[in-house]
Amino acid sequence: MIAFHNLIEALESAPDSRPFVTFWIDEDEQETVTFGEFRRRARAQAGMLQGEGIAGGDRVVIIMPQGIPAMTAFAGAMMLGAVPAFLAYPNFKVDAEKYRSGLAGVTANLKAKAILMDEEFPEDMLGYVSLGAGTRLLRAAENEIAPHQLARCTIQATDLAFIQHSAGTTGLQKGVALTHGAVLRQLEHLTTALKIDAAADRIYSWLPLYHDMGLIACFVLPMACHVPVVMQSPLDWVMHPETMLQAISQHRCSLLWLPNFAFQFVPRRTPADRREPYDLSSLRSLINCSEPVRASSMGEFQKALGIRSEVLQTSYAMAENVFAVTQSEWNAPPAQIWADGQQFRSAHRIAAVEEGTRGAVSFTSSGRLLPGHQLRIVSDSGEPGDGCVGEILIKSDCLFDGYYNRPDLTEQVMVNGWYRTGDLGFVLNGELFVVGRKKDLLILGGENIYPQDIEELVGSHPAVHDGRAIALGIYNAELGTEEIVVVAEVEDQALLDDAARIEQEIRSRIVAGMGVAARTILLKSPKWIVKSTAGKPARSATREKLLREHPELNREEVRQ
Amino acid sequence: MTPEAGQMIEHIRQLIRKPDIAIEENTPLVSSGLIDSMALVDLLLKLEDLTHMRIPAGKVQPKDLDSVAKMFATAQRVGRPRK
Repeated sequence: MIAFHNLIEALESAPDSRPFVTFWIDEDEQETVTFGEFRRRARAQAGMLQGEGIAGGDRVVIIMPQGIPAMTAFAGAMMLGAVPAFLAYPNFKVDAEKYRSGLAGVTANLKAKAILMDEEFPEDMLGYVSLGAGTRLLRAAENEIAPHQLARCTIQATDLAFIQHSAGTTGLQKGVALTHGAVLRQLEHLTTALKIDAAADRIYSWLPLYHDMGLIACFVLPMACHVPVVMQSPLDWVMHPETMLQAISQHRCSLLWLPNFAFQFVPRRTPADRREPYDLSSLRSLINCSEPVRASSMGEFQKALGIRSEVLQTSYAMAENVFAVTQSEWNAPPAQIWADGQQFRSAHRIAAVEEGTRGAVSFTSSGRLLPGHQLRIVSDSGEPGDGCVGEILIKSDCLFDGYYNRPDLTEQVMVNGWYRTGDLGFVLNGELFVVGRKKDLLILGGENIYPQDIEELVGSHPAVHDGRAIALGIYNAELGTEEIVVVAEVEDQALLDDAARIEQEIRSRIVAGMGVAARTILLKSPKWIVKSTAGKPARSATREKLLREHPELNREEVRQ
Repeated sequence: MTPEAGQMIEHIRQLIRKPDIAIEENTPLVSSGLIDSMALVDLLLKLEDLTHMRIPAGKVQPKDLDSVAKMFATAQRVGRPRK
């Protein structure tokens, strides 16, 4: 990787006839392009963009459905030295109003020279694309385009390669600007840690291209490292999660990344009697990434689908660092430890105990730092040392240059070259354990409570929909401390008739598992919880919705 | 009204827990706030069942599912026969 100056040089060196992208619609309908064909189509897109006056440094926003045309447009823009950015394509699951306001904010900030869309982009959304002076609205040509003579352009390692957006609710996403050099260094570290063999490996992905895990691990890495990838649309996957097993089985895929919730979602949506035909023996790395890792979720997938435990791996990653910061050891399950729950909550310290000890809490390692990376754990009282929880700060040779056009936001997160992740974690035996988001931490009478621990207990109740529970701390001025409020979606609307009993059972589970009491438990109908663009429950947006619908919960007014 | 459209209406009544509500083939569902966009995954799966088609979800926008009549028209437009 280091041998290349930029990503396009890496793409140009791929063997012509090696398969690159197989876009999977179903078992009968799939399209495969080789690296040679991909390059030809990318050049055609580059020629079209060049003809429209796009040149080096210009931002090109791509709003197209997941697929080969979107990917060739992205590579085509980079061939000109332009800076592409994928934005989410509107779909039937996304609230139109929210999508429009997010689109307007993000497109305005990028000040793009061109916004590239497909022919079917809905007319009613067009008015919300922010077209500043000098911004062109272009429709990507899907059909055959005559080969273009591209102007020669020199792309330096220090030039911006693309902008990827951090995960978050639409509109609050920040554009992370990355140079070719930073991306290539990340790929060098990641392919070494994962022992990627371009001739033998094949990646599978349903992850959206507008988030780092889908963009870096499942498009840019395969493109620059010449690894075939089997891809499907996130929407097709969410409708029929079982298709993931079909695609892996049919194409003998060896590597994939999934967020934690998918480890439960896939087996729960694939009845036991339908799992038998799928052969997942080709998998060598199934990496849990992008949400706090839960050993129970990984165990559920492993047990239901009969994969070897050493296939399960973990990684800690973020858009600001291109992608991965840590990676667990290859060919071994990630380390899991148990610690005294009381020490953890009151002193933020990890005191190791035996598995099964009463009141113990368990953590799963996210692995060791990639080469070229440094990490600090910082608490209010300084740097507390190994086995103590604090905010994770990172420094690396692939860290971003800043949020695009937002020096104010960049300044908030950078301290002397260190990036403040906003995540809490601890280091033990050289491995990083991530415990949650700093801003989500609940503080109850001096004890630190992680909402994910409560949510896991709530989610274990059979009436609660998989992963659809949120625990929030709401300050009670009378008591001078936060109180726990839980909102959970029931599996089926009819269960709401039995709400009082279910609430009581959930309350008992929380007390038994954590030794703390929830003030309020609210059961809601399916789909009530607000989701982020990544499909995860969005904590702050759900909090706002909850306080809007239940103003009686808000006892923060007299906080001063 | 086809039997399939009738079954879809019944499914929607169950989904929104309003068994007695009047829903016709052309009653606006999403734009009227009767169902939210998140419920549309269920409706799309039901539509696949009723039409024996596979409907590529990426080609569907909320307005395509705004009434029962539009749902079946969308299935005809973008759906493919399922094996």
